[in-house]
Amino acid sequence: MSRTAKIFSVLVVALWLLMALAPSVLAPGDPLAINPTQAFQKPGVAHFFGTDESGRDIYTRVIHGAGDSLSIGLVATALGMGVAIILGTIAALSPRWLDEIILRVLEALYAIPSLLMALLIIAFTGPGVGPAIVAVGLSTAPGYARLVRSQIRSLKNSEMLEAATVLGRGTWLKVRNHLIPNALKPLLALVTLGIGQAVIWAAALSFLGLGTPPPAPEWGAMLSAGRTYLHLAWWMSLFPGLAIVAVAVSATMIGRALGGKVKSL
Amino acid sequence: MSEQTLITVKDLSVDFDGSPAVKNISFTVRAGQVLALVGESGSGKSVTARSLLGLSGGNVSASELSICGQDVLSLNDRAWQKIRGNSISMILQDALMALDPLRPVGREIADGLKDHSSLSRSERKQRVHEVLESVHMPEPELRAQQRSTELSGGMRQRALIAQALAGNPQVVIADEATTALDSQLTALVLSQLRALKEQGRGVLMISHDLAQVAHLADDIAVMRHGEIVEAGTTAQVLENPQHDYTRQLLKAVPAGVPRFAPLTATSAVSTEQVPADSVTGPLALAATGLSKTFGKHVAVDAVSFDLPQGKTLGIVGESGSGKTTTARMVLGLQKPDSGTVDLLGEHFSPMAEGPRRRLREQMGAIYQNPLGSFDPRYSVGQLLADALSRGKTKRVESHRREAAQLLDQVDLSPELLSRSPRELSGGQRQRLAIARALAPKPSVLVLDEPVSALDVSIQATVLDLLDRIQLETGTSYLFISHDLSVIEHMSDFVAVMHQGKIVEQGDTATIFAAPQQEYTQKLLSAMPRLR
Repeated sequence: MSRTAKIFSVLVVALWLLMALAPSVLAPGDPLAINPTQAFQKPGVAHFFGTDESGRDIYTRVIHGAGDSLSIGLVATALGMGVAIILGTIAALSPRWLDEIILRVLEALYAIPSLLMALLIIAFTGPGVGPAIVAVGLSTAPGYARLVRSQIRSLKNSEMLEAATVLGRGTWLKVRNHLIPNALKPLLALVTLGIGQAVIWAAALSFLGLGTPPPAPEWGAMLSAGRTYLHLAWWMSLFPGLAIVAVAVSATMIGRALGGKVKSL
Repeated sequence: MSEQTLITVKDLSVDFDGSPAVKNISFTVRAGQVLALVGESGSGKSVTARSLLGLSGGNVSASELSICGQDVLSLNDRAWQKIRGNSISMILQDALMALDPLRPVGREIADGLKDHSSLSRSERKQRVHEVLESVHMPEPELRAQQRSTELSGGMRQRALIAQALAGNPQVVIADEATTALDSQLTALVLSQLRALKEQGRGVLMISHDLAQVAHLADDIAVMRHGEIVEAGTTAQVLENPQHDYTRQLLKAVPAGVPRFAPLTATSAVSTEQVPADSVTGPLALAATGLSKTFGKHVAVDAVSFDLPQGKTLGIVGESGSGKTTTARMVLGLQKPDSGTVDLLGEHFSPMAEGPRRRLREQMGAIYQNPLGSFDPRYSVGQLLADALSRGKTKRVESHRREAAQLLDQVDLSPELLSRSPRELSGGQRQRLAIARALAPKPSVLVLDEPVSALDVSIQATVLDLLDRIQLETGTSYLFISHDLSVIEHMSDFVAVMHQGKIVEQGDTATIFAAPQQEYTQKLLSAMPRLR
């Protein structure tokens, strides 16, 4: 990774973490406090990003919304990866017939667009933050699982694994110490890219009213709320939208920087 | 035969961004002369060869650099293209890598002619057949239409040489052209190089092994750290070496050196330590009727051998003779179709993996490419900690003392504990692999071509180390190699494999002195010897 990319990544991660964990440092106000007299204020000195139809400060809400959006993205990706590691590893180490079955199922799931699949899952579970996480996580799992499987399959026949066998290592030790860590290393960059994608999907679900319920400050939900007033208060939609774009872009940049690092190894 | 000078090199220096690789070397190659540049990797011999093709990639300076009378010092890329293949060409090291697997070899050979001659399509075809015939390719017309993957190792090597000769060059460079080839292919390449010399071409041989060049070279130049430390006729250099380094290289050649006699000056091994022959207890390793078939191909056919404790059994054979499959069955990595492997008197190969794991600690493995057998995320210390803790931890702290001891046992500094194996040299990596294999205190080590990727001088230090460990610990070795001279030096007993069968086995001295089977005789006659 180049020096600038490194500094940029660290700064961006630090900023997002600060926003997610301690939003009051950047925006001391209450994101839920309504003030009808201040409704539809334009962005200005008093309200950096303006106010919404109930007079809530958009800046405060965007900052406080980072926690929800990012944790949905992170938890969903972690869930997806977790399922993928289990499925991919089982498939790679199974006898051929079981591998074939798992693979066919994964391919069938992979054929359904992820967002559509997430909607399908929400249709069963009903809307909410938890269901949104599960929906986004599970819908990304088949793609990751295929990658984990192919990584582990190629590692399975490596001299490294033979050496571990000769040293008397059991299957579990080989999987834990060698197969999974080495399989995940090249996937790290991809996972970072995936977090950005998951944030977008989580926002999309909220936008459709299937994720975080109002009045919680979630970017997708704010975008949706602003849609009604787009002709008189453009700032209501613009700033949450920009926040989503910023997360996706920075996740992509960090992912690409990591990808370059992995390749150079 | 004319005495025309084909290559003149005067005060050649090559540096890469200021770090010198070759320093002020001078030599000439005449028509009909074979000059050997000998030295270990990093000595600058390959850079020298590449400078003669305009391919060094560094800053080349010289007071004279000419090929076939033409000054080549200031040539640009286009002008170099005219020289390469026409006046001078190179036989590459690895036939499998150097030939395009998707194209017929005839077309590969013709490619060079397309750029370098005005020959028509049919004339080119004619020339390809001529040149294939000149390297004694069987059925040249048929072979020209085949791809390199359809050819045997020997044919591939011939095709590679034919490719170098297609443009009828006056000078041929052979850069480690025999390294890593088994003895018959080596003999083939050497005989081809001799033919070139007899045709009056100049040959520049590059090698790390004095024994490989001893019988062919007219003159030898020994290189070290970018300089020629000694040059002279082959007889002078071999019989009366002046430089310490030359003596060191000569000593490193294992051919004909008695068992346990040191190959390096610094080795602590002495023949007096050799243990008495009275060995009690079960055989370290016994194979009975091992067979393995892949599809229709019989890889290993009824192989049986015994390895007494504290001894070394050498398995020698050409590539594809079934050596490695045998090793994998012995190690329990491949299930034999029939036959059994016994380890210390217990039936090892028929065991289920669960109970077998306990026995596995008794048998270690060393591979040709140690780096491939290390987890790339682990440091030297972590690899050893993992081996010492049976995979429970890779924390160096928990086993620092034992890990340092293991490194000491293989003559590596404990400072390496925090380094990555990638930062080590080839010899150091192999030492580390040995240290790791010794961690569970095994009774048997299976060594599959352990020194084949190493320079002769590095090979000598690793072989001496293996000798010392065997004397100290009484470990038995199953030593697999294509290199007869290494096998002769390292083994108490030897088994010669050919097409999956052991054609001859017995006491090493007896077999090397009086081989009974025709195949063994053929192998031994092809063995390069210094003296």
